[in-house]
Amino acid sequence: MTHVSVTVDDGHLAALDGVVQGLRARGMQVDQVLDGLGIITGSVPPGAAGALTAVDGVVSVDEQLAVQLPPPEAPVQ
Amino acid sequence: MIGPSGPGVPGIVRHGAVGPLPRTTGRQIVVLADTGEDTPVDWARVGLHSVADSRDFADGDVPPEAMQDAEATVFSALGIAVVTAEPGQLGLLQTAEAAGRPVLSVSPELVHHVLPGAPPEAGGYTAGYRDGVADLAARLLAPPAPRAPAAAARFEDTAQATWGVQAVRADASARTGRGIRVAVLDTGFDAAHPDFAGRTIAARSFVAGEDAQDGHGHGTHCIGTACGPRTPSTGPRYGVAHEAEIYAGKVLGTDGSGTDAGILAGINWAVTSRCPVISMSLGADVAQAHPPYSAAGRRALQQGSLIIAAAGNNADRRSGNPGFVGAPANSVEIMAVGALDQALEMAYFSARSLPARGGQVDVAAPGWEVYSAWPMPTRYNTISGTSMATPHVAGLAALWAEATGRRGLELWATLLQESERLLQPSVDAGSGLAVAPQ
Repeated sequence: MTHVSVTVDDGHLAALDGVVQGLRARGMQVDQVLDGLGIITGSVPPGAAGALTAVDGVVSVDEQLAVQLPPPEAPVQ
Repeated sequence: MIGPSGPGVPGIVRHGAVGPLPRTTGRQIVVLADTGEDTPVDWARVGLHSVADSRDFADGDVPPEAMQDAEATVFSALGIAVVTAEPGQLGLLQTAEAAGRPVLSVSPELVHHVLPGAPPEAGGYTAGYRDGVADLAARLLAPPAPRAPAAAARFEDTAQATWGVQAVRADASARTGRGIRVAVLDTGFDAAHPDFAGRTIAARSFVAGEDAQDGHGHGTHCIGTACGPRTPSTGPRYGVAHEAEIYAGKVLGTDGSGTDAGILAGINWAVTSRCPVISMSLGADVAQAHPPYSAAGRRALQQGSLIIAAAGNNADRRSGNPGFVGAPANSVEIMAVGALDQALEMAYFSARSLPARGGQVDVAAPGWEVYSAWPMPTRYNTISGTSMATPHVAGLAALWAEATGRRGLELWATLLQESERLLQPSVDAGSGLAVAPQ
């Protein structure tokens, strides 16, 4: 599974439920609906992320970035 | 207020003991108070009867002839009037007995000149080109310059305060961050730390299977810098906004790792909780702005929350590698913070601006050998990084939010406008050293 963040356009901020339904219909497992930001996170099978951009109200679909801090004892963090 | 004794008046030769005084016109510039009402000034009180108002002219465009004829010309949109009067005459408008709109200041009108520069003769461009080529050739042909010696430190930790708290002038500020919520999205917080006993702290974990307790140390250190106490029971002051309300969002696990899902959930929580300041000492070394962070930053600003993020530690200036600002700091809508050392020069690891829009370093703050809180029983630790510079700015943002009531982009502009300019390249330090309101 590929973890993705789906960004919703300004016109659909008040109608996130409809966007979520569209994403689910195209195979996304929705984990979080961040209504303060208009972003929906979750995962899709490999290769299926592109299909999500066809959902009405979706601005972009991006694979999630990972962040890694140095270990606690590192002098520069 | 520009007065005859003010420094650096445009177009005027700087006047020291022997320099020329600025020329004045004999007219006075009167700044009117912001009353919110359209109350006219009581000009008649000081014997002025011929008053022109910019609203009487189309588009507020007052012709110079009208200004010459009138004894007073009022620029309504600015709340400023140009008045023909003796300096002492207008003092009556500033007394408590004066009716009408209050007057804030009266200053002599100065004569301004075009700044002295190269005369626009025909050969100027060619001469400039010649000089530029000569300079370039000299640089290319010259042997490599020896590395500049390290500048002398301007700050050091004392028994009273860390060098960083001194450098940003938090110790000299009367502001405390009281009433301002500061979210720090990091590895959580050590709730047992004695320096924070009695503080209002909301802690929340967005990492599956972990509570909000800090199992790494990074988060407690950052919260300490942003919001640590004014007088810890032991050791120097290390925190900036010592009365801010702390929102500790755990978005990085005990192993120091995290992903968009947790970080965005933390931002969503901070925005929904109406935190005017969101500090994020985290990032990924990718040069492209990440669309979800750009959208999150924009929507946070719209709701009054300013996201402040670390520029990144991917430079190694000792070997000539300036690095680049990573995500999320390289989003236009998110402020990027670079790290300074005690000489107020860039720390060797502090990332440089990207040429792309949004990829710039916006401001800089202490990020070298920063002493702050650490999970018990260690209690304190001294580490370096743009991660340590970021919470200095977050704490300062809380002080400015308290002092001015500004939020979002206005708060961002205030931090940059008020920052102290440095002799560092703007691609590295942005607007310079962020400082506290005094």
